[in-house]
Amino acid sequence: MKTAPATPKLKLTNVSKQFVAPLTGHRTLAVTGVDLEINAGEFVCVVGPSGCGKSTVLNLIAGLDTPTTGTIEMDGAPIRGPGAERGVMFQDYALMPWQTVRDNVGFGLRHGTPGRNFSPDEREARISEHVELVGLKRAEKKYPHQLSGGMRQRVALARLLANGPDVLLMDEPLGALDAQTRLILQVELLRIWGETLPREKRKTVIFITHEISEAVFLADRVVVMSNNPGSVKSVVPIDLPRPRAEAVRSHPVAEQIWGMIKDEAYRAIA
Amino acid sequence: MPNPDDATPLTAGSPLSASLDEAEGVPPAAADTAAPADVRIRLAHRRWFIALRSFAAFIAVWYLMFLWNGNPIQLPSPLRVANAIWQLAIDGELFEHAGISTSRLVVALIVATVVAVPLGFAMGLYRTADKLIDPMVELLRPISGIAWIPLALFIFGVGNVLPVFIMVYVAFFPLLLNTVSGVRNVDPRLVSAARTMGVHGWPLMRQVIVPGALPTIMVGFRLAFAGAWAAVIAAELIGAPSGLGFAIEWYRQLLMSPKVFGFIAIIGVVGYLCDLALRALQRRLTPWAEGTGLS
Amino acid sequence: MTTDAAPAALSGARWTGFLQAMLLPVVFVVAWQLLALTFPPESPAPSPAHVVRTFVDLVTTGGLVQATAQSLGRVVIGFLFALISGVALGALMGSSERVKDNLDPIIESFRPIAPMALLPMAILWFGTGTAPSLFIVAYAAFFPLLLNTIHAVSRVDRKLVLAGMTMGIPRSTILSRIILPAALPGVLLGARLAMGVAWTAIIAAELAVGAKSGVGGTSGGIGQMMFVFYAYSVDLNGIVVCMIVVGVVALLIDRLFRFAEHRLMPWRHR
Repeated sequence: MKTAPATPKLKLTNVSKQFVAPLTGHRTLAVTGVDLEINAGEFVCVVGPSGCGKSTVLNLIAGLDTPTTGTIEMDGAPIRGPGAERGVMFQDYALMPWQTVRDNVGFGLRHGTPGRNFSPDEREARISEHVELVGLKRAEKKYPHQLSGGMRQRVALARLLANGPDVLLMDEPLGALDAQTRLILQVELLRIWGETLPREKRKTVIFITHEISEAVFLADRVVVMSNNPGSVKSVVPIDLPRPRAEAVRSHPVAEQIWGMIKDEAYRAIA
Repeated sequence: MPNPDDATPLTAGSPLSASLDEAEGVPPAAADTAAPADVRIRLAHRRWFIALRSFAAFIAVWYLMFLWNGNPIQLPSPLRVANAIWQLAIDGELFEHAGISTSRLVVALIVATVVAVPLGFAMGLYRTADKLIDPMVELLRPISGIAWIPLALFIFGVGNVLPVFIMVYVAFFPLLLNTVSGVRNVDPRLVSAARTMGVHGWPLMRQVIVPGALPTIMVGFRLAFAGAWAAVIAAELIGAPSGLGFAIEWYRQLLMSPKVFGFIAIIGVVGYLCDLALRALQRRLTPWAEGTGLS
Repeated sequence: MTTDAAPAALSGARWTGFLQAMLLPVVFVVAWQLLALTFPPESPAPSPAHVVRTFVDLVTTGGLVQATAQSLGRVVIGFLFALISGVALGALMGSSERVKDNLDPIIESFRPIAPMALLPMAILWFGTGTAPSLFIVAYAAFFPLLLNTIHAVSRVDRKLVLAGMTMGIPRSTILSRIILPAALPGVLLGARLAMGVAWTAIIAAELAVGAKSGVGGTSGGIGQMMFVFYAYSVDLNGIVVCMIVVGVVALLIDRLFRFAEHRLMPWRHR
């Protein structure tokens, strides 16, 4: 592992989240005792069996929900609510169905905080740049319902990047794609993220997936969570050279991680 | 704070390109752009043909029944009815009554929208507003607009206001309920996504909530129209000195059946045309909701 | 509605909820009564107190119950006509594309023609007794039943039918054991909607017929009763009583049908 810089980009201290059902008052402890330090420029994957609270942790970091106990800090300061500096890519993309590809990519720039320091012309240029980056120039004027799953994913990615966040939070972004597209997009994702760049130049990424081979392929570190209650079981460093070779997907460390969660995964479907 | 001057050079590299599109397969086209133009035209022609054939059969059956019935006042010949419609069109009476009914409808729909939609947004967004107002709404809703006619007749008398009042009442409920439902059912993930981009407050309303609720509101509008169109006829039949409802009853009392039937047909035609217009409006305003069961 | 809370067993939160729900209606009634106190004593304007008194009068001696029963009876008869014809035709049109395509233009042309628009025609045919009202009710109830049945039958998942065929199930059993239960929710929805429109239609028809045929005592149902109160005895309190009865009956019909839906289809969770 590389030497960590002074302040971690993200720090979770003893974070737990308890959900209370509004009508019955029934309490569910989704995650508990989560301690994590994530450094700037790291690509961190989170894996674990169903129900282990991966999405809950992501929502907490995104500020879409507040922890029951514990603190979440970014650059040393506690986070308050959602914000464009922690961009989110949702599982089913959350594209505005009434807007074209171009409008969706530019949504944050035009109506939210990311576009604040740009002039309107600069914003439009930035939008065009990102639409081209993901190869959707030809489909710029189409609506989400006219796009395939992979194309929608690219729109969501372009939107995320156009907003220029420091931290990218991605909740199973490749989950809805077929296996081949998924493999291709993993490579593209790493390249866009800039895996050959020095660490200071890279964005911080937290990426949830249930595909262990995908996690091993993409990540610098893999956070393995376990179930009942949701908590961090282990953090596995992936010290493999970049750019990653295809063979990495079947590296022994993948077996090792699978071993950690296998029992719980079996129990989850019992 | 977002860092707009981010120094990270995004490596454009090879854009996710045509080869990727091939891997993903052809994107699903919207239904109406899938078939080439000439196929669509042929399908439309076929539909028209079937419709004409069915109408012809209907009129033929009608004519046979007319002959069998023998009482031209009860069931006039379709030819006489067609002639009556023609006469009414020529001397303008058709358009006069149709115009009056339609203008009342438009006024009523505007009033109902102006009242119901903002109220619906308030109730959809704020739980307390909903809890206070909804019981009152639910108490009034089962009392159909028709049941208000006698009381309204007493308050407003026979005239223009009565049909409009009844129509506003009838149109109000579907608009309100659908607005509330539309607002509540805006995909919360879209709202979350917008919030993670720093969008909140008024821009959030304009850019996410309003478009998100619009398809359901449009459905409510069409329901409101259908209810109001039925109500206007009933209200005019009982309590107005003009309009299509009045005309049917007037000519019935004169035992001029062809005109009665003629006006009934006009009621159907105008209603149908209005619905077509509304559907076109719906397509223009909410093109993304086609084929999602919301039309 | 929020008024189905049993007062005795309410917890604090539900009690406030109940009070909150009753607030606006109570305020309305109180304000109305206060306003009524400012009316001159001979004014025919209705007030809550008089309405209550009139209600008691009408129930005991005024034939309100009989009139309501009469209206309901007509609704039921008309509804049954519509049920048989609407569901049968709907099943036919729902299963045969050809039949649907041919009949659709006619059906769709009649849809914008409100039931009341046919009343003068019905009076021409049947005179001014019970018959035109029945006709209007049947016509009104026909469309929701027909349209919902078509919708329900045509949306039956083809795969279920195919599954039945691969198990050697004969066509008649497929119809009764697969198509019918699959279509039942839609048909029941249509029945509930139809009953609702039927009730509105009978009131309207009786009102209009009453307006044409003059006083008939209680032989004309609630609708005619309302008209008599308007035109002859100028009893606005009576009108209000009738309106409330109309509303209450409508509500009861709706609840009854929802209950039936719930009972007949235990596999649907509401």
